[in-house]
Amino acid sequence: MVSKKAGGKLLSLTTSPCYEALAAEFPRDFLGISLPEQPNKYYFIIRGQRLVLEADSSIQTIMEKLQSYKSKVSLNFEGFQYQLGDFQLRVGKVVPSHSENLRGIVMEVEYLPISSIEKSRQIMGEFFELWQEVVSKRSLPGQFMHMEPNFAEYGLGDLYTSQHTAVQYATVMAQLIATVQAVQAVRN
Amino acid sequence: MECVVQGIIETQHVEALEILLQGLCGVHRERLRIHEICLKSGPNLGVVASEVRLLCDLEHPEPSWTVRHIGGAMRGAGAEQISVLVRTMVESKASKNVLRLFYALGYKLDHELLRVGFAFHFQRGAQITVTVSSVNKMLKLHATDEAVPVTPGIQLVEVTAPASSENYTEVVAAMTSFCEYLAPLLHLSKPGISTGVVPSAAAAAASLMSDGGGTTL
Repeated sequence: MVSKKAGGKLLSLTTSPCYEALAAEFPRDFLGISLPEQPNKYYFIIRGQRLVLEADSSIQTIMEKLQSYKSKVSLNFEGFQYQLGDFQLRVGKVVPSHSENLRGIVMEVEYLPISSIEKSRQIMGEFFELWQEVVSKRSLPGQFMHMEPNFAEYGLGDLYTSQHTAVQYATVMAQLIATVQAVQAVRN
Repeated sequence: MECVVQGIIETQHVEALEILLQGLCGVHRERLRIHEICLKSGPNLGVVASEVRLLCDLEHPEPSWTVRHIGGAMRGAGAEQISVLVRTMVESKASKNVLRLFYALGYKLDHELLRVGFAFHFQRGAQITVTVSSVNKMLKLHATDEAVPVTPGIQLVEVTAPASSENYTEVVAAMTSFCEYLAPLLHLSKPGISTGVVPSAAAAAASLMSDGGGTTL
């Protein structure tokens, strides 16, 4: 039984990759992420250094005042949230903040009864296989890819937290950007 | 935004100050042990040089981190007439790898300090915080267990209160009023304006210590 959350648009996640191009030894970019389930928090990720930081949302004001990095690209993940038994699904399109160009579709699956990543791995895998089977029968273009980050490299443990979510969205962002760049390279 | 005044007091009079503050604030003091790390942007990072402070609260079993950015002070004729510094200030709690993040972003250590003392947090026309602390420097990088006082025998007293552009005049008035009660022991002024110790501090402290704060100064 699938129930759709009343209220229409529910999921909105904003990311703001920040670029600094003056000094080669510093990261050229890092990601900032806000999650709807943590409205007072903000997350920074430097993928190259496997670093994730959780801070109050006021950290954005601090970064703006420091003026050492500036926001270059901002993506919104907008869609709907569904309840499917013990699973919570969020399916959304990825669009730049000031554009209507669709960059991709993201699906977030959460198994609510278990917070341990290892203990939930089997049931999550089974759900994903079922999902892939259903999607393949619809002959929809494209396919869902799942690349689980190595959370341990980020210093994150087995107990799932919002920092894990932020790292996953950062990985998704990187995939989307790489895919867009690959398509552009082929066209050129 | 915050309102700030500072002053210094001799360590021998801190106990008397604590008695006075206990009576004025009506709350228990909290112990203070803050590792303050001041970072500055490296060369070629950003349009302008920038500075950020990371505060690590060492008082609790699990250290907690705060990022603080102190901005410019309010200027103009109005600002000069008030005895309290009003400046922009933004803080954010952060997870423990915040120092590593800022190093990765290109910030360098400028200096670090360890503040050890106590604080009173209370409401008196404004949400006021009084901190009394010795300021210590570390002889080795991040070695908080080997810190030595910057000015032996002297401690820093800081009175702060959060404010906004709408209410800072009320906050300034509340702080000014409160600081008058501390006048027998120390002078409080805008940071950067040195006033030294108060000549009557010894007598005032003796009076406070003799009757545990019952005497009206």
